[in-house]
Amino acid sequence: MISESTAKPAEQRWHGLSVSEGLVVGRVLRVHRGTRHVYPARIEVGDVAGEIERFRAARDQARTQLLAIKDRAAIVMGSDHAYIFDAHLLMLEDRKLSEEIENYITLKRANAEWAVKVLGDRLLSVYAEIKDEYLRERGSDIEDVIHRVLEALSGETPTYLNLNEDAVIVSEDLLPSAVAELDLAHARAIVTDAGGWTSHTAIIARGLGIPAMVGLEDLCQHARTGDEIVVDSYQGEVVLHPSRETIQRCHAEIEKRSSAHHPAQPRGSGIAVTSDGVQVRMRANVELPAEFAGVARFGALGIGLYRSEFLLSRPGVMLSEAKQYQAYSEVAALAGDAGAVIRLFDLGGDKGGDSVIDSERNPALGLRAIRFSLRNEAVLRTQVRAIMRAASKGRLDIVLPMVSDVSDVMRAKEMIAQERATLESAREELGPVRIGAMIEVPSAVLTAARIAKVVDFFELGTNDLVQYILAVDRSNDKVADWFRSLHPAVLDSISRTLQAARAANIPAIVCGEMASTPAYAVILVGLGATDLSMTPSTIPRVTRVLEGIDSRDAVSIAAECLQCATADEVESIVREQFQTRWPQLFPPKTLPAKRVGC
Amino acid sequence: MVEVTVAVRNELGLHARAAARLVRTANRFQSSVRLERIDGSLSADAKSILHVLMLAASGGTQLRAVAEGNDEAEAIAALSGLFETGFGELEL
Repeated sequence: MISESTAKPAEQRWHGLSVSEGLVVGRVLRVHRGTRHVYPARIEVGDVAGEIERFRAARDQARTQLLAIKDRAAIVMGSDHAYIFDAHLLMLEDRKLSEEIENYITLKRANAEWAVKVLGDRLLSVYAEIKDEYLRERGSDIEDVIHRVLEALSGETPTYLNLNEDAVIVSEDLLPSAVAELDLAHARAIVTDAGGWTSHTAIIARGLGIPAMVGLEDLCQHARTGDEIVVDSYQGEVVLHPSRETIQRCHAEIEKRSSAHHPAQPRGSGIAVTSDGVQVRMRANVELPAEFAGVARFGALGIGLYRSEFLLSRPGVMLSEAKQYQAYSEVAALAGDAGAVIRLFDLGGDKGGDSVIDSERNPALGLRAIRFSLRNEAVLRTQVRAIMRAASKGRLDIVLPMVSDVSDVMRAKEMIAQERATLESAREELGPVRIGAMIEVPSAVLTAARIAKVVDFFELGTNDLVQYILAVDRSNDKVADWFRSLHPAVLDSISRTLQAARAANIPAIVCGEMASTPAYAVILVGLGATDLSMTPSTIPRVTRVLEGIDSRDAVSIAAECLQCATADEVESIVREQFQTRWPQLFPPKTLPAKRVGC
Repeated sequence: MVEVTVAVRNELGLHARAAARLVRTANRFQSSVRLERIDGSLSADAKSILHVLMLAASGGTQLRAVAEGNDEAEAIAALSGLFETGFGELEL
């Protein structure tokens, strides 16, 4: 016992499967899977109805928690990952499962906990038989849901963990919702005893770009929160209680890798050069602090789009100027010489902000984005003050989301000028800030030439542009067949906007999903785009494709597409031309699939 | 009764997210909707996510979709649309 405080425990090593590469030295944060022991109890006949009620109440409580987690996950991990919780909700709402549990309670006179566990285990045993690895791993989703109901039955509420800067998450196996509940922006690495290449842990760690290892068997039994730990997924090794020599060696290795990586990396330039010498800037779309590392890692030329509303992840709470200043200063430092474009809060509509806004019948066409900020002047003024002050630390620009026409721009510019004057007279240190307009609604496309005269740059938000040009809600499955990024009307809108920018001699950055998708990026370049902004991890892939093409080919394909009458026609041209010209760059799966019967 | 053969076109198969979309869609219709393995070895209620997941339909699997009820044609059309687009997951 005395030795515990004086002697350092000996180094211990584990080997496992590396599912996301990297090398870090940090401290353990044990996250318990929360395996719970459930015992059967026989209840009186008269208590059956009450027991069923108890189960239903727990199920409803679990449902409320899941709805909150789903919202949070959409912010922290992106809506793609949040979908998983929709599956969890459906499992909870599954009528047959509830019926079976309630029948079990009635027939066996079992306590609710036992009924949930028995039927849950029965489901899991069927799952364990599935051959396909990816689908088998989904058993963890069922486990997660069962666990949540059991927790609700026990009357406990889940605890949320705040992570330290150097936390290495160590767990038996992270359940998907635990991953969403953790503040992963600060996690340095994730290691688990169980899991495979396609487990949630693996998928999310790769998305966040942090190292992860799974299949470490009994690491959890030995690791305690606060222990020093090395995760080296290059070597497939975890070292607990590393010796001073091991730590030094790791730091040297980290140093070596980072200096070897960055300057020497040919992709580090942030510029893709087509085979005929056209330069295309490759910038990063960023919202989460967790994504910041990707900007340097994937060699982005600064940040083309910073979605500032992420800062307001807590509903209804507006952030102080000081807090915003700090956040924007970090963004400026991160973006480096190429700078960052901060999009003013895109609040309202379906984007949250919640209690501040009354619900509207048609939020996508309602008081959102710049309209919201113009109506709530204090919000806009606070934000631009923080940005102008932070711009003294590094290059920052402002882009106004969803402007309808010149009048929105002029009103915003007037407020920005007033705030600048006030700050200047108070002798605040300010930086130059250029002001751009997001072109994403039809009226802005049609008056782009005039808007171009009053702004310093354009930014084309293709996601909203497709939605508004085609009048299709992209979250509505019923009209999914009408959401066509390659619709000639969309391509024409992009082409007109880029032309208006060229005529006014201002830059135009194209951001949105289209820029992240290699086949679409080629069309964008064909339409005249030379400045793209995308999810950092997609930069290498898009760069590789752009460097393999001749931009003149892209121009002639795009010109042909502009003549089409329907999205089907455009897609078939893209399929044929891309496969003929660049078969090595575009295997069939990367091209739009042929649609049947629509 | 309307019946159609569909293929799982997205690489990852009918995993939780894709299944969630499928089940949400199936539940919009009054008709009963079933998904069956082509060899008849397993049949699932398309309105229950647990059933759909049990099909363990990986990428490339062929399934039979069967709907019965007053809006059976619409239900099948909506479902085959989802399969056709790989549940929005085909890499474009």
